[in-house]
Amino acid sequence: MDQKKIAVYLCEGCEIGTSLDLDALAGVCGTYACKTHPCLCRSDGVRTLEDHIRDGVNTLVLGACSPRFKSEQFNLPGCLVERVNLREQVVWTHEANDEDTQMMAEDYLRMGIARAERTALPDPFTLDVEKTILIIGGGTSGMKAALESARAGFKAILVEKEAELGGWKRRFPVQFRHSPPYGGLAATNLNGDLKSVLDHPNIEVLTSTTVASIEGQPGQFDISLRTNGTTRVSRVGAVVQATGWKPYDASRIEHLSYGKSPDIVTNIEMEDLLNKPQLVRPSDGKPIRQIAFIQCAGSRDPNHLPYCSAVCCRVSIKQAIQLREKLPDTQTMIFYKDIRTPAQYEDLYRRAQELKGILFAKGEVAGVTPREDGRLRIEVDQSMLGEKILVDVDLVVLATGMVPRVSDGEVIRRQRDAQAVIDRGEKGVKLETAKATLEELKQLDLESVLNLNYRQGPDTPTLQHGFPDSHFICFPYESRRTGIYLAGCAKAPTDFEGAISDGTAAALKAIQSVELGSQGKAVHPRWDDMSFPEFSFQRCTQCKRCTEECPFGVLNEDEKGTPKPNPARCRRCGICLGACPERVISFKNYSIDIVSSMIKAVEIPDEFDEKPRILGLICENDAYPALDTAGILRRRFSTFIRFIPVRCLGSVNTIWIADALSRGFDGVLLVGCQSGDHYQCHFIKGSEIMGIRGKNVREKLTQLALEEERVRLEELTIADYNRLPEIINAFADEIEEIGLNPFKGF
Amino acid sequence: MSNAVLIQPDIAFTNQIIELGGEDVFKCMQCATCSAVCELSPAENPFPRKEVIWSQWGLKNRLLGDPDIWLCHNCGDCSARCPRGASPGTILSAIRRQAVWHYATPQFLGAWMNRAGFLPVLILIPAVLLLLALLVRDPLAALLGISSDHGPGMQYANLFPHWLLIGFFTSFLILSLVSVALGGLRFWRAVKRSDLLQTEQAPSKSLLSSFLTVVMDFLTHKRFGGCTVTATRKRAHLGIFYGFLALFLVSTWAVVLLYVLNPFMETPLPYPFSFWDPAKIIANLGALALVAGCLIAMVERIANTKTMGRSTEFDWLFLGILFLVGVTGLVTEGLRFAESVTAGYTVYFIHLILAFMLLIYLPFSKFSHAIYRTLAMTYAEQMGRRR
Repeated sequence: MDQKKIAVYLCEGCEIGTSLDLDALAGVCGTYACKTHPCLCRSDGVRTLEDHIRDGVNTLVLGACSPRFKSEQFNLPGCLVERVNLREQVVWTHEANDEDTQMMAEDYLRMGIARAERTALPDPFTLDVEKTILIIGGGTSGMKAALESARAGFKAILVEKEAELGGWKRRFPVQFRHSPPYGGLAATNLNGDLKSVLDHPNIEVLTSTTVASIEGQPGQFDISLRTNGTTRVSRVGAVVQATGWKPYDASRIEHLSYGKSPDIVTNIEMEDLLNKPQLVRPSDGKPIRQIAFIQCAGSRDPNHLPYCSAVCCRVSIKQAIQLREKLPDTQTMIFYKDIRTPAQYEDLYRRAQELKGILFAKGEVAGVTPREDGRLRIEVDQSMLGEKILVDVDLVVLATGMVPRVSDGEVIRRQRDAQAVIDRGEKGVKLETAKATLEELKQLDLESVLNLNYRQGPDTPTLQHGFPDSHFICFPYESRRTGIYLAGCAKAPTDFEGAISDGTAAALKAIQSVELGSQGKAVHPRWDDMSFPEFSFQRCTQCKRCTEECPFGVLNEDEKGTPKPNPARCRRCGICLGACPERVISFKNYSIDIVSSMIKAVEIPDEFDEKPRILGLICENDAYPALDTAGILRRRFSTFIRFIPVRCLGSVNTIWIADALSRGFDGVLLVGCQSGDHYQCHFIKGSEIMGIRGKNVREKLTQLALEEERVRLEELTIADYNRLPEIINAFADEIEEIGLNPFKGF
Repeated sequence: MSNAVLIQPDIAFTNQIIELGGEDVFKCMQCATCSAVCELSPAENPFPRKEVIWSQWGLKNRLLGDPDIWLCHNCGDCSARCPRGASPGTILSAIRRQAVWHYATPQFLGAWMNRAGFLPVLILIPAVLLLLALLVRDPLAALLGISSDHGPGMQYANLFPHWLLIGFFTSFLILSLVSVALGGLRFWRAVKRSDLLQTEQAPSKSLLSSFLTVVMDFLTHKRFGGCTVTATRKRAHLGIFYGFLALFLVSTWAVVLLYVLNPFMETPLPYPFSFWDPAKIIANLGALALVAGCLIAMVERIANTKTMGRSTEFDWLFLGILFLVGVTGLVTEGLRFAESVTAGYTVYFIHLILAFMLLIYLPFSKFSHAIYRTLAMTYAEQMGRRR
């Protein structure tokens, strides 16, 4: 963009015109042209703006509603549009025609102009993308992902570790129906699936193959694949990880005695038994009179798998129904904590009950003991028969859960880094720590699946229970590595149907990331964002904070530790910008300078006015919408606060807090998304990181003899719009109590 | 492993309960809605969920010695509210049916009562017995020197002289009562043995006082009033209960009048009683109440299967006989006033067959609930298990 030509427009609509003195407000625009319009978003309003653009205006500051509204009307190509939220944040939440409200509006307009002066339209980072998707895992979801990629016109490379495609479907020739009537059983159509995959010209199937390495970024991942000792190299645009699951190791559940008798089998082994012509006791070939299924074998147990694998109930019921047909005189008992047959699969449960002979018995199985008479004694606590009971059976089936076949890249990286410390011959504390790390991780199976050449580790990081998702409710199919999407039981336990829909979804996500990458656009959640972080490496001190704190592993590093950006991996959260102590990272439209100048644009009344000023740094993802909602609901809050939206709380550089306090702000309120186990941060750990940085800030405050209460971090969800005004008011009250900032006026 | 109990599931017994009407037993998902909504169930160890679960496991001894099955009045509150359509009320009915069969002597009659296809035999037995009685009427009268002539006009006593009728019925009634008393005794013992109350709990009330409380309850049907979804059932049962009681008392009065008081009376007994005789009035009102009660109960069973559950032949047999006894009785009386001889005697004979069935099948039919329920409620009253 050449010389900036800025014009300011104020909208009179939505009570803005009647609540504020717009003439006075225009006064803050200085030399810039400032006009008003009765309703800017109306077609004549937009036309007026377009006329201005034709006349040479290339930067517009619009004092109107929240930027979250009317975005279509104010999307003016080629023009930088800076929105100043006079509606939700000023006139709808504060007293009309009041001195403080007017001051607030003026500050916001000044801040908007300051931002408009410094921001620039981003120049997108585009790539020549490879329209091929690598799918790792040739099971149900992997095959589906390959098929959907191919059907969408992409090429697919389908990699399977085993000698044949098919995955777990090979072990389950009969499954419960995934379509009406839900109570029924159906043959697994593996051959049909295989045929459509093998026959598709866009799919290349590589069996007995593993991934040796993946490097690069979405659009241009360079992969090497190893098949029986030979390696081949390819380029793909994105990756679908459909590596599936393995059964939980039943021998670790000691009280269930797996391994102590051949008559104690897992649900997978039961599947094999059911498919034999003769179903007899595995130990001695005698007939089976009574058979017991033990549900949640190791599942929903904090010592084993703390989660529910979602399918074991249905699998046991399916097997019980098959047993009724195969051995009608055998009595089947299903010992359960809770039967979980979600949605229409309740019909399957009902069908089993209607067969009149499958005994569903609630209780906690305390133990299984092989007896001398060849039978197995089950001990059940809290049974519905009112006490502890013992039941003798001939065969016990343990319904074990699913463990994702994935690795945690961060853990492997810890191990490799520790090994590197030892290999370098380091001494002292470093060596001791490294040894301790290796000792700690010794028990874990740390074989990498993806072999990513990423500084943060060779696999995607995992969240709860070792699943590699990045919040599976908010971001289904996304991992914390851009361009790598998850499908099937690697993401979360699911049935064949779930694996199939996962396959489709992950393939579409992968395709989307390639397509967006070709346009230089970010993927979810800042979809369409064309800005990306730029580094001034001359000033970089190789402190590695950006490399470490990036939630998406965007940055690799060279031998010296200088970060090596991969813009297509970036989700544009700005956490690197917040992390950098040297402030060398910036976006075209979001930088240290832009926010600092906005902070400086606020007029600080002198100490005799007794009008405190609070800076609110507020996350755009949840907190800002919550604030808008509070505005729509006309909730009132303090006029002392000035909000600046930030991309993520993690993108807050502490220099801004220092700037604000030295400028005379009396307090800083940071509002971000919920952190912790049930975090809602759109960038995984933004508010968590800010929590840590906030501690350092407070320490600094104490050094400056300032009260540490002047900086507060609040976390909320998008639904907390009623709480947010309360938070603001409570903080304003507290600041008034603490008193004005002694640095005011310096 | 203290107090651990070895459970041996008995699928055969479960199947029997299924056959006797509890076909939804496996639909139970053990949620306890039934026990929670039941107005009659005690707070500790409430029924019917535990009985349903015991049925799934086929725990025969627990079920047969369980007094709680008899505390249930089958009002259907549980079945109406069961989220899985398991009909706990019907399952309890099936268990009761099983219990009646189990405790009654002789066993073969019980088996016939519970097997479809035996109905003709069950009708044939009293018919044959009554015909036999008719055959021996005159020779016996001659032998005993009793006049069978009850005077001119249409008199049913001419068919069955009072001495024959009363003698015949009384002897079979005694047999029946002996059988049901034996059943009651065996049940009482089983209840005492049952592990429902695992602690050795001392009765909180004396047997007699508990019994009297229960009798008072019967008279008022107070407990029956606890049912919410089928208020009509209480009314129906009241009608049947008082109708039957009236008829029974009047019959007894007639016997007493005939054979105890008559010999001391100066004028011979005016027989048959006039329509306005107080005993006759009571009898007619009783019959009407009985028929009305049965009608309501039958309509309820047909129209309201959701709450009542499916009615089995066991239910219909007892209800049907009761109803028909009332109807044929009234018709018999009417035909006498109409002096319709052939029809009158025919209906009278049918009436006798039905009444006879009612009496001799007492220990095997639903009629026996009179004794088992009385015992169970007395026990529950004694143990403080009643709400």
